[in-house]
Amino acid sequence: MSVLDTIRKYREAGYYKEFDYHWGMTVDLDRCTGCEACVVACQAENNLPIVGESSFAQRREIKWMRIERYWEGEYPNAKLNFIPMFCQQCDEAPCETACPVFATYHNQDGLNTQIYNRCIGTRTCAVYCPYEVRYFNWFTYTWDEPLERQLNPDVSVREKGVMEKCTFCIQRIRQAKDLAKDDDRRKVRDGEVTPACAQSCPTEALVFGDLNDPESRVSKMANDPRGYQVLEEQNTSPSVVYLQKVHGDEEAI
Amino acid sequence: MDITGTFQYEEDAISAAQGLHAAGIKNVSLMSPIPMHAAEKALGLGKSNVRKFTLIGAILGGLGGFSMCVATALVFIMPTGGRAIIALPPYLLITYETTILIGVLSTLVGFFLVAKLPAWKNRPYRVEANVNRFVVAVESPSSNEVKKAEQIIRGAGALGIEQTGGTL
Amino acid sequence: MVMKKLFDHGEPSYEQVNQDVIKSLIETGPKYWMLLATTVGITVVCFIVPWMYQIHMGVGVAGMNRNAVWGTYLSNFIFWIGLSHSGTLLSAVLHITQSDWRKSIYRSAEAMTLFSLMVAATFVMVHVGRLWFIHWSFPIPNPMGLWPNFRSPIMFDVMAITTYLTASSIFIYMGSVPDFAAVRDYSSGLRRRIYTVLSFGWRGTSKEWHTLGWAYTFFAVLVIPLAVSVHSIVSWDFALSTVPGLHQTIFAPYFVCGAIYSGTAGIVTVMYCLRRFLGFERYIGKIHVDYLGKLLIALSMIWTYINIMELFTGWYSGSSAEIEFLKFRLFGFYAPMYWEMILFCAFVPLLMLFKSVRLNWNRMLVISILINIGMLSERFIIVSTSLPRKLLPDSYGFYFPSPAEISITVGSFAMFATLFLIFIKVFPAVSIYEVKETLNPLRRAEKT
Repeated sequence: MSVLDTIRKYREAGYYKEFDYHWGMTVDLDRCTGCEACVVACQAENNLPIVGESSFAQRREIKWMRIERYWEGEYPNAKLNFIPMFCQQCDEAPCETACPVFATYHNQDGLNTQIYNRCIGTRTCAVYCPYEVRYFNWFTYTWDEPLERQLNPDVSVREKGVMEKCTFCIQRIRQAKDLAKDDDRRKVRDGEVTPACAQSCPTEALVFGDLNDPESRVSKMANDPRGYQVLEEQNTSPSVVYLQKVHGDEEAI
Repeated sequence: MDITGTFQYEEDAISAAQGLHAAGIKNVSLMSPIPMHAAEKALGLGKSNVRKFTLIGAILGGLGGFSMCVATALVFIMPTGGRAIIALPPYLLITYETTILIGVLSTLVGFFLVAKLPAWKNRPYRVEANVNRFVVAVESPSSNEVKKAEQIIRGAGALGIEQTGGTL
Repeated sequence: MVMKKLFDHGEPSYEQVNQDVIKSLIETGPKYWMLLATTVGITVVCFIVPWMYQIHMGVGVAGMNRNAVWGTYLSNFIFWIGLSHSGTLLSAVLHITQSDWRKSIYRSAEAMTLFSLMVAATFVMVHVGRLWFIHWSFPIPNPMGLWPNFRSPIMFDVMAITTYLTASSIFIYMGSVPDFAAVRDYSSGLRRRIYTVLSFGWRGTSKEWHTLGWAYTFFAVLVIPLAVSVHSIVSWDFALSTVPGLHQTIFAPYFVCGAIYSGTAGIVTVMYCLRRFLGFERYIGKIHVDYLGKLLIALSMIWTYINIMELFTGWYSGSSAEIEFLKFRLFGFYAPMYWEMILFCAFVPLLMLFKSVRLNWNRMLVISILINIGMLSERFIIVSTSLPRKLLPDSYGFYFPSPAEISITVGSFAMFATLFLIFIKVFPAVSIYEVKETLNPLRRAEKT
């Protein structure tokens, strides 16, 4: 391929759409009970620090997965809606363009990755992120004895001044791909990899898979007529599809 | 040994300098406390060569800046935000800045080269030249030029003439 | 047209200009040393020490939290960049338009540019989480083969500020070379040797003047578009995000106008100090304060207009996020600060419409300081009222600066003062040769 062709190719926006995978997730809000098992699972899987009471009060908690609560109506007719919020792995992520040092970029799996040891902590990505799912290490957090023994060896711990975020448990994806390679398969099969949050969800509200594969469970779920994307008007084209909660007329039931 | 003549008035100093030039004496310099914009034509100073440095520097800076962006982006293909790897609008901004940066730096280099600075070696100089006097200096004239030069400088109305070694 | 008098107390002679200016440079009293010691002390105690503590502990020492991940450090960065905008820009514009009144004030104005730019650059370093890796944001060849992301607005900033810092230091330095030579001629010993080096062996030959004139004009021509671009680019750090209140197309002109505005007010403050403490009453006079006052009125009106437009576009968008943010800005916790800013930057400057205010240095000092207080709050408000009201209501937050941030903010002013105090003893604070250019020329024809 000539130089000109290379340049022409790289002049195209979104030229990297043809990926091996396009990891995505669906969140069925009708099934979500707000139990926060996913939050705890994420905490355990990804070595999220426990920031302590005072830092928590300062809104500095680190929860890659969080359950947002929205109240509808007034008491006593109030309804509580939960929206699990985590990195939407946007295809056109505002945060990626913001980083001056390429600490965050779009990888070949359609994931929005964060390279912790490249991050210099300008926090621009967190400002640019409309979903506010980027968390900053305000201090170097430590684990008291013997809690450090439960740290996941596949995931690094982050030092002060580093931005961190959900990457769909990239260590698990890595592992699944390695196993697939061992089996002489080019592709990971649907269901072979599940992030910690989806794995721990008791109601299976979270479904994870490859959106490139039309037969995968997640693709089918994503085509559900209830599907919508959070802050769609921001044109970030997220990889996470939320399935609307169905509010029935309760008196009629 | 150098000859320096001190003048009170700009016209006198200029006529002395022109006289020396006409007499074929080399290494004449005219020092003044302020730039003599009006006299530049009389002294044969037209457009300065600095402008070439600026132009070339700015062009090279622009090209260099843009190619730096493109080349560094192609070293590692790092897709971000669904944008093209070679994205023109942001790269043009960088180009704009490097154009100015290299333009300024090359103007600086041009200034040094054209003005032949920095020069700390011994050269004729009179302190008054930076206060309120005009000084015409002839740098190391040959022995037969000395008389002629002094004559011209005195004839133009110099306040004083000195034969000095380089003082600066 | 009536020619305005450049000098209030009659023209000085050529020798006198040299003497007056060099005297301010060489004669240093105990008051100066005490003042310098104070500012250095405040810088160390209020700026360096908390900063070191923050580097040791992490940025959590500051009051920023998850929603408001940008705080005072960044708003101060914008403020100082803004303050830097008038000096070099004004000097360059007035040089090209050949305005004589520029000549006695431009040196200090440019110094203000340079030093506030340095303080601003320091704030970037205070802001980042991992200072020790900040060199990764410069295009330096490295064994990793990994270069910075030139698509990032932060990289535009890095390039713009580096260029601006380089260009404005060269601009001020090259303008000072003939004056360094004057100081060299006046002094002896070590100082003479230092200034010999600083002045490159300048003799003031017609060739040197000619070249300097050309080079200087080119610097001026290059610096003007640069200065405009720098603050536009700073504004794009914000405007390229999608945060309500930051995502505004008007931000570039808004920031540039605000920058020149606060910078011009800063010049008035600095001029006051030069007159008062260095005895430059003769050189900085009514004409300067009059013209700067008029400029300030014009800028305040543009600034007010843009502010109204900013509110209008937010409201007109009808977007609930924008409306929510506007409510927070106009009536929320920081509303008093917002209205204080409107008072100081939109209404107080109108007093300068009266000549009695404009020509009175004390009144102008007060107004200029009020404007800069207003502009400091403006920058703070831009950051602290937008980020806590982003798009997801669940993440609405609140930001209040921590003691470390307040202390570093105070310290930055001391740092600026320190740099400026060093400047007035190194650089001739008033351009000797350019002031002489405005005097009666040393020509036979004009003398008689």
